[in-house]
Amino acid sequence: MVPEEDIKSALRKVPWFDNLTPEHFNKTAEMSQLRHAKAGEIFFHEGDKQDYVYIVLEGRVSLDIFVPHHGKVRFYTAEPNDVFGWSSVTPSVRQRTAGAMAVLDSIVVCIDAEKLRQFADEDHDFGYLLMRRLTNVVASRLMITRLQLIDMFAGPTEQKND
Amino acid sequence: MTTTLINTAAHSAGYANKLLLPHWAEIVKIIPEAEGVSTFHLKFTDPEVQSRYHFEPGQFNMLYIPGYGEAAISMSSDLETANGLLVHTIRHIGNVTKAANRLKVGDVVGIRGPFGTSWPLDAIEGMDVVIACGGIGLPPLRGAIYQIIRNREKYGKITLLYGARTPADLMYPSEYETWQKAGFDMQVTVDRGDDTWTGRVGVVPMWFYHFRVDPHKTAILTCGPEIMMRFVIYEALARRIPSDHIYISLERNMKCGQGACGHCQQGPYFICKDGPVFPFRALENIFNVEEY
Amino acid sequence: MTDKTLTIGSTVALPKPELDLLMADLRNNGFQTVGPHLQDESIVYKEIAGLKDLPRGITTEQTPASFRMIQTGKERYFDFIPGSQSWKQFLFPPSHLLFSAVKEGKWQLKENDEPAPHYALIGVRACELAAIGIQDKVFLRDDFSDPIYRHRREGLFILAVNCLDPDATCFCASMGTGPRHTGGFDLCLTELDDVFLVEVGSELGRSLLSARNFELPLAFVQNTANQAMERAAHSMVRSMDTSDLPGLLTGNLDAERWMEIGKRCLSCANCTQVCPTCFCWNATDQVDILGKATRRERLWDSCFNPNYSYVVGGNTRPNIRSRYRQWLTHKLGTWKDQFGVLGCVGCGRCITWCPAGIDLTEEVAAIRAEVLA
Ligand SMILES: Cc1cc2nc3c(=O)[nH]c(=O)nc-3n(C[C@H](O)[C@H](O)[C@H](O)COP(=O)(O)OP(=O)(O)OC[C@H]3O[C@@H](n4cnc5c(N)ncnc54)[C@H](O)[C@@H]3O)c2cc1C
Ligand code: SF4
Ligand code: SF4
Ligand code: FES
Repeated sequence: MVPEEDIKSALRKVPWFDNLTPEHFNKTAEMSQLRHAKAGEIFFHEGDKQDYVYIVLEGRVSLDIFVPHHGKVRFYTAEPNDVFGWSSVTPSVRQRTAGAMAVLDSIVVCIDAEKLRQFADEDHDFGYLLMRRLTNVVASRLMITRLQLIDMFAGPTEQKND
Repeated sequence: MTTTLINTAAHSAGYANKLLLPHWAEIVKIIPEAEGVSTFHLKFTDPEVQSRYHFEPGQFNMLYIPGYGEAAISMSSDLETANGLLVHTIRHIGNVTKAANRLKVGDVVGIRGPFGTSWPLDAIEGMDVVIACGGIGLPPLRGAIYQIIRNREKYGKITLLYGARTPADLMYPSEYETWQKAGFDMQVTVDRGDDTWTGRVGVVPMWFYHFRVDPHKTAILTCGPEIMMRFVIYEALARRIPSDHIYISLERNMKCGQGACGHCQQGPYFICKDGPVFPFRALENIFNVEEY
Repeated sequence: MTDKTLTIGSTVALPKPELDLLMADLRNNGFQTVGPHLQDESIVYKEIAGLKDLPRGITTEQTPASFRMIQTGKERYFDFIPGSQSWKQFLFPPSHLLFSAVKEGKWQLKENDEPAPHYALIGVRACELAAIGIQDKVFLRDDFSDPIYRHRREGLFILAVNCLDPDATCFCASMGTGPRHTGGFDLCLTELDDVFLVEVGSELGRSLLSARNFELPLAFVQNTANQAMERAAHSMVRSMDTSDLPGLLTGNLDAERWMEIGKRCLSCANCTQVCPTCFCWNATDQVDILGKATRRERLWDSCFNPNYSYVVGGNTRPNIRSRYRQWLTHKLGTWKDQFGVLGCVGCGRCITWCPAGIDLTEEVAAIRAEVLA
């Protein structure tokens, strides 16, 4: 386990934590741990039970979906300061819908999703900040997905006609 | 070096009296780039024409294949190492461009040009430069990339954001190392990868989520699918980069390249002669108008 | 003896048969005389030999989507308002061979070196001359000079005629282009029942007219002509309010009216084909079956053609409303940015020849009303 001071200084590098009160910050730090992952290490598989929400500090983490007859399709990579595994904070989804793997040597903050959810339920000020952040994450992810869906680089024959 | 947004070269090769009359150029080399994309090295058959020909990065030629017609293709040559060759990277996607794919070394094509405005490499001196391109939008910037490398000390941080559909669609991969050595921050992004791809997956505009720009000294050069450029511009404007520091290369149907046939009009502009490279400020009122 | 020396600016009376001789002189001087001619129940512009080929005793009745000719029985040649064709077809031919290429080993180019004809245009209306002036700005610029147009334009003889009986579709007065000529011609006719008044506009016009048997006009005749021209200007029923153009259109690209027009417009491209100022063109290859010879031609095009704005994988103006918006905002808006003038002279052709009867003066008024509402 990483010493407490390490996790705090690591969290301070993530801009979002600047917005937290010292109390909220400390509480979040208590639920968090650092993970140094070598390239190729798996964070979770599709179908796993959800336990953590992650923030990338360094490196790159891929999100892949297994498509029968196509193999693994990599549809997103999380870059430094990016959040992944965020659906574990939402109230109903309880199962991983994609797999996550370090594609480069990476350092990642893992926050206990169960505790985070509980804390947000108890302290709505914190809950509001958390949800606001997650809304941003989801909105940007949607934007990216939309642009991928448009398939803007496809040739005319590959594009579906309307 | 004259890199202005004024089209100076339209008459340089002496077309004034001859409508759409091309000069022949011979194919000296064909390099497969990616699935359905190849790079042609061409040389005018008339040395006199070759010596008169001068272009700036960002400009384009009309490439003629007898029996098929013409297509607007950007110059992707490096001004100084091309040795008088015209370098064109062509995506084989329609009538003319697929016919180009059937040509062999030694065959000839017709060339008219150069046409249009160029990247404002002088105007952005002293600034950080973000080059945001996608797909076949990289070739039109290749000449500018080499000019920036050659005058590296005149510019601040250089970031090259390049998006493609899949890793196999990336163009000029063998040159990335040179660009990185010149201090370019290379951010290559694909729409989807397989599990051997360790680069970024996503879309070009998302780079802005993860990196900070200094709005007062950052210039953007963007070329690629219009939808991609639109989101790059949204993100850049949201970060308060002034619209006259955002340069965009537009694509419209083109038949003449000389502001004559009307096809490429958008609002008051003939994209072929007033563009293809515009400061975004000039387009603010028309760029996002649906179907304009 | 009265002094019968002609100078530029003089006006004389010319007996009608003399016009026949004047046209013969033009032909003897190497001009191809082209003018109005009755054909296929319409009036076309084509090569004519003399007076006998002109539409004698005909007036027209033009309204939106309708063109009718009426016999008057009068000995008059220019009482009609022109049909669908304009002089554009002579200066900017609807199709023109640019070059051909033949593959003999390598491809060889053969330029089209056919010399440009010298046209003498017989019966050019004021709006039509204004349209030629506009096309001059389009085709003869500092940064681009169209050789096909230039060669035809340089050798052009213009015999103008003042309009005395505008149709219901005409609105040149409000566009400031007619119905009376103010210059730019070689000779200009005003037709009265028994005589032409002819004004001299150029040296060439002067020398041609000098050889003809003209008279100095009586004050009475000149008065009659002036009154007729004034009546013509005032009798025009249609008008275009140009006060806030181009801004009205370019500033309201999202007006509801565009949608509404899009439902009526058939995108048939008639308006652009009959318009004397529209300049868009396409270039195509006509290739032989073996692929060893090709003819590269320039053809008229139109912003209403779906292929016009095609780019790989799609179309920048897929809907009719956006094509109509392109046409109108170009004509009455961005044309001014490009060439310093509006692209409409008020000839009314696009109103007469629109199968859906769409009238641009009405559309502009509707957009104005919508914006003010
Ligand atoms: C300024 C500019 C620079 C370009 N640079 C490059 C380049 O470096 N490499 C490259 O591969 N492509 C480039 N393109 C796109 C290229 O012009 C088109 O892919 C090409 O015209 C398609 O022609 P086609 O006959 O093969 O396709 P078809 O689908 O058969 O097209 C029919 C006609 O439509 C017109 N047309 C279709 N798509 C376009 C288009 N995207 N832009 C303009 N006219 C079009 C052309 O007149 C063409 O002749 C550029 C376009 C522009 C406007
Ligand atoms: S727009 Fe219509 S009225 Fe105006 S010049 Fe053209 S055809 Fe004539
Ligand atoms: S764009 Fe349309 S309205 Fe404008 S000149 Fe061309 S055909 Fe005419
Ligand atoms: S391509 Fe002809 S006007 Fe631009």
